[in-house]
Amino acid sequence: MVQFFLDGDRVAGFVAHLMKQKPVYAPHRKGGNSYSFELTEKADDVVLDYPRTLHSVKKFFLPPHEELLRFDLTKNDYEPVDIPMTEAVFLGVHSYDLAAVGRLDYNFTVGSPEKNYLTRRQDAIFIGVSFTPDKYHFSGSVGIRPEDNLGCDVFLTRLFEGYVLEVLTSRGRKLVEGFPMPAHEAGKPVTGHFQQHIYVPQTKLGEIMAKSYDNPVWGETADKCVGCGTCNIVCPTCYCFNVEESVDITVTRGSRERHWDGCMLRKFSEVAGGEVFRESLASRQRHRVFRKFKYISDQTGQPWCVGCGRCSAYCTAGISIVSIVNRLIGDRERAAASMI
Amino acid sequence: MNLGELRSPSGLEDLYHPVMAEIKEIKRLTGMETYYRIELPGGEDLGHAPGQFVELSIFGVGEAPFSVSSSPTLKGSFELGVRRAGMLTDVLLRQKVGTKVGIRGPFGNGIDVEKFKGRDVLIVAGGIGLVPMRSMINYVIDNRGDFGKLIICYGSKSDQDLLFSDELKKWADDPDIDYHVTVDMGSETWKGNTGVITTLIPGLDLDLPNTVCCICGPPVMYRFVLLALKSKGLADENIYMSLERRMKCGVGKCGHCQINHSYVCQDGPVYDYPTIKSLQEAL
Repeated sequence: MVQFFLDGDRVAGFVAHLMKQKPVYAPHRKGGNSYSFELTEKADDVVLDYPRTLHSVKKFFLPPHEELLRFDLTKNDYEPVDIPMTEAVFLGVHSYDLAAVGRLDYNFTVGSPEKNYLTRRQDAIFIGVSFTPDKYHFSGSVGIRPEDNLGCDVFLTRLFEGYVLEVLTSRGRKLVEGFPMPAHEAGKPVTGHFQQHIYVPQTKLGEIMAKSYDNPVWGETADKCVGCGTCNIVCPTCYCFNVEESVDITVTRGSRERHWDGCMLRKFSEVAGGEVFRESLASRQRHRVFRKFKYISDQTGQPWCVGCGRCSAYCTAGISIVSIVNRLIGDRERAAASMI
Repeated sequence: MNLGELRSPSGLEDLYHPVMAEIKEIKRLTGMETYYRIELPGGEDLGHAPGQFVELSIFGVGEAPFSVSSSPTLKGSFELGVRRAGMLTDVLLRQKVGTKVGIRGPFGNGIDVEKFKGRDVLIVAGGIGLVPMRSMINYVIDNRGDFGKLIICYGSKSDQDLLFSDELKKWADDPDIDYHVTVDMGSETWKGNTGVITTLIPGLDLDLPNTVCCICGPPVMYRFVLLALKSKGLADENIYMSLERRMKCGVGKCGHCQINHSYVCQDGPVYDYPTIKSLQEAL
């Protein structure tokens, strides 16, 4: 493995070097205190030291709105829509968001592999960057450290005055070629400690969840929850979608489109005739948390939460998934202790 | 989950593109329900199992899941029984014979008919639950030698709401079918049973443990039918249920049909009772 030193003053130059080769999507500051992955137009706009973006890179592979087909109402027929490959560099991706991409890869490959996602995802190149955990990150509890470079072609570990740049794949080497940097001989720093923790590993969490179906925490969380679905929409591993028709103003053409959807929304489970199968907010909260720590995890052995902290950071009611899970753990421990 | 080798999208079929299929026949069944017979391009068979569903779409209106009502033994086309329940079914009602609609599927597991072969088949259908069960009933009728007794319990709101009335009459007149029907509220001319569907079950002559049952009906019905069947002594593993959920994509992706960890469009809509018991959200 080759390690270079990327001086902090040369980051914009490095971004410009990448932009000459491929489109570069990277974190940009939005408003006062928000960050978003955007197509880079000016190398200076890229921010590599950021807590988290509002949305993960999921939005490029599973777009919030995507045309599935275009129809012609005068002919009652349709034509397919070209699915573009995302041949681009994703710069400044945190380890938990890359881990989330790995989980989406699984969801869109298992069973019926989905052409739409896999086509968009296929040619993505990732340049990861380490992060300093803030008060919402807890990815360490789900086995994802800030300095993990899994899935990356190039990885940047933040130093005080710049970055250690590691080239991890041949695609990464091609990208970096022609941008001379001094070799980095010293070791890499450890990048900070988490302030939030889930106190047991997934292997135990599955059992705890299995016994927590009727825990009062679901109802108590529902008392605060407003059912807005923000937690679903910002989650990097949520992939549920709805499909709707859109007709243009001439009423001759239109398209069938999918949009992100969320299991926290009441209408999510509604069928024709009006029956809603997850009517209570408590049952929806439970479903959301079980989707992250039990249902898919029982099949894959992995938590489907990557500890990014978005659902807690952006929750309009201040609900924390870490508090919910730790409450379940605590209640089980107390129940186990009272058996002795 | 590690980022492994990504599956190449080349050669993958588009999961969301329908085939355009022609409506060959339309019949009003009741005030709310309509029968459609639909033909795929070239008269190709749908290739479904009883209990499976298709996604039917009309451009500019939408797409929704519908149970296939015909038996796989019907060749060259397939049948749906559609209740008017929203915008898509409203617009479908205005279509004429010869119109084309989008079809994807068949989806779901359907009934594993092998598990019913050589045994007595009990069908319990409530209301529009008869639509998918009719696929199984006609499959048994068309393969009569493969099955034991055929027992049908059908419950409906009123005698005006009875679906497929011509076929019901045939089933009632067939000495080879043990047919029972009841309505919650009969009209003045109704001479049959009155009462909810569970009232039919205590009187059934069942050969336990040689009887396998399949239930389909409105969500409220299952618990009560199960209680009645359990008090008859039917074993859990001989009871199957077809469940309704919002199967939007049909391919295990969109999430709407989940019952706990189970995707109804993949693992269901037909579940055996022991599996249902492990799914807290099922009933």
